[in-house]
Amino acid sequence: MTKLNFELFFPHLRPWVTNLVNVWPAYIVKPQYANWEVFHILSLTLLGGTAILMNLRLIGRGITGAPPSEVYRSLRRWQDVGVIGIIFTGVLMGMANAEKLYDSQAFVVKMCALLGGIILTYGATRPVAREDGAVPGSAKLWLIVGGLIWLAGLAIFATGVLINVGMYHVITAAALVVLIAARGRLRWIFLAGLVLIFALQQVITHVVITDPFDLKHLDPTNKAFTWAYVVWIGGTALTQAYVAARNKATPGLIALIAWAGILVWVTGAAAGRWIAYE
Amino acid sequence: MLNQFFSWLQDSLGKGAGDTAQSWSQALLGSLNFWSLLEGTHLLTLMLFAGTIFVVDLRLLGVTFRKTPVSVVSDKVLPLTVVGFLILVTTGLALFFAKPVYYYHNLWFRAKMIFLVLAMINIAVFHIKVQRNQSAWDNSPSPPGSAKISALLSLISWFLVIAMGRYIPYNFVDCGKPLPHFINVLEDCKTTAAGALDKDTMIKVGGTNDTDAVQ
Repeated sequence: MTKLNFELFFPHLRPWVTNLVNVWPAYIVKPQYANWEVFHILSLTLLGGTAILMNLRLIGRGITGAPPSEVYRSLRRWQDVGVIGIIFTGVLMGMANAEKLYDSQAFVVKMCALLGGIILTYGATRPVAREDGAVPGSAKLWLIVGGLIWLAGLAIFATGVLINVGMYHVITAAALVVLIAARGRLRWIFLAGLVLIFALQQVITHVVITDPFDLKHLDPTNKAFTWAYVVWIGGTALTQAYVAARNKATPGLIALIAWAGILVWVTGAAAGRWIAYE
Repeated sequence: MLNQFFSWLQDSLGKGAGDTAQSWSQALLGSLNFWSLLEGTHLLTLMLFAGTIFVVDLRLLGVTFRKTPVSVVSDKVLPLTVVGFLILVTTGLALFFAKPVYYYHNLWFRAKMIFLVLAMINIAVFHIKVQRNQSAWDNSPSPPGSAKISALLSLISWFLVIAMGRYIPYNFVDCGKPLPHFINVLEDCKTTAAGALDKDTMIKVGGTNDTDAVQ
């Protein structure tokens, strides 16, 4: 299967990419790689935390004691620091490790998520939070543009050999968002369904199929269960959005912006981690 | 003694009969994807855990959410932080189980555990002492010095926990390498299979500071 990496799109760039490690400041960064990783992760935590809180507030969770516009005003500069931090440290680390990234499909996913994340955060989440839930026309446009770029990244992630398992991070995060957003009976039904799917998956992949190397059967089985998780989580999320919209609590469009605004950064972080496992 | 326990945990627990049998720890480490998923989840959960605790600390420092009472921020954010912490502890324990001997003798892991304990003590001190008169400063845009010190200690502790955690996979100071005496002591290298190679002694014997030349 063709690997969707940057080499496929820019095949003539290899000599330039290979030489990047010898260019200033990459040769200074290379021996200090671990330190830059620390600051990359710290930037990610700052970005992740602010994105989670800002988007959860849009669906009526998290810091509900303050209006979305106050949450936006309080977090925006810290979020900027997070975004600038991941890009700054990411570029330096990328230069010092350029050839690996050039060959990596997970890196393409990461770049899609970064671009989609910036568009969704700055074009949709933040304007909607700033306006206390009113959705400007531009936010709809940026939701479509950012959302499509993110979905393209997800498609590349899901079809990448040796990296598609990383999709479980996105699925887990989606399940957590639904659990946080759900209330009452729906939350327990959702949780029971998740446990049931998980238990069934374990029984079939460990008791029915006993050979752990029987990938001919294990692979399609696990893929089928992955779809089961996606359908269950997505279905519950849609139910939630429908109920919230009917109760006039959160319009469906805002719920969509909030979910995308969180999960897009999870996708970027997951893809970044799976570059190492590719 | 702990070394022997972790060796048993790593090499013997759950091991069946036969030459190719693996212990549970070895099976986890050698799994096709599960270990990677655990490690990835551990890292990604920092966004939920550290990302939210940073926001609470920044509020206590008076640099964000200045118009919102501290209790409003902490009461709504900390449940999310706790969820993140539970995931981190669960995945962290599983990751430790996969390589207990390596982690036990790893300088960064030991430092991480120390800073983790310090962070916990700081949380306890905050709840027991600093929060006692929170009603007096709950609405203040800039909480008192004691709350700010606690927030600053929290930020520093978690920063160090994350930094030490990130250094763990790097082998700069693994036992068996020529290391300064104090690092061999800190990692208790002499009880490992790789042993303790004292760089200072080697320099005295070899008469050079060049490790490669000594080897």
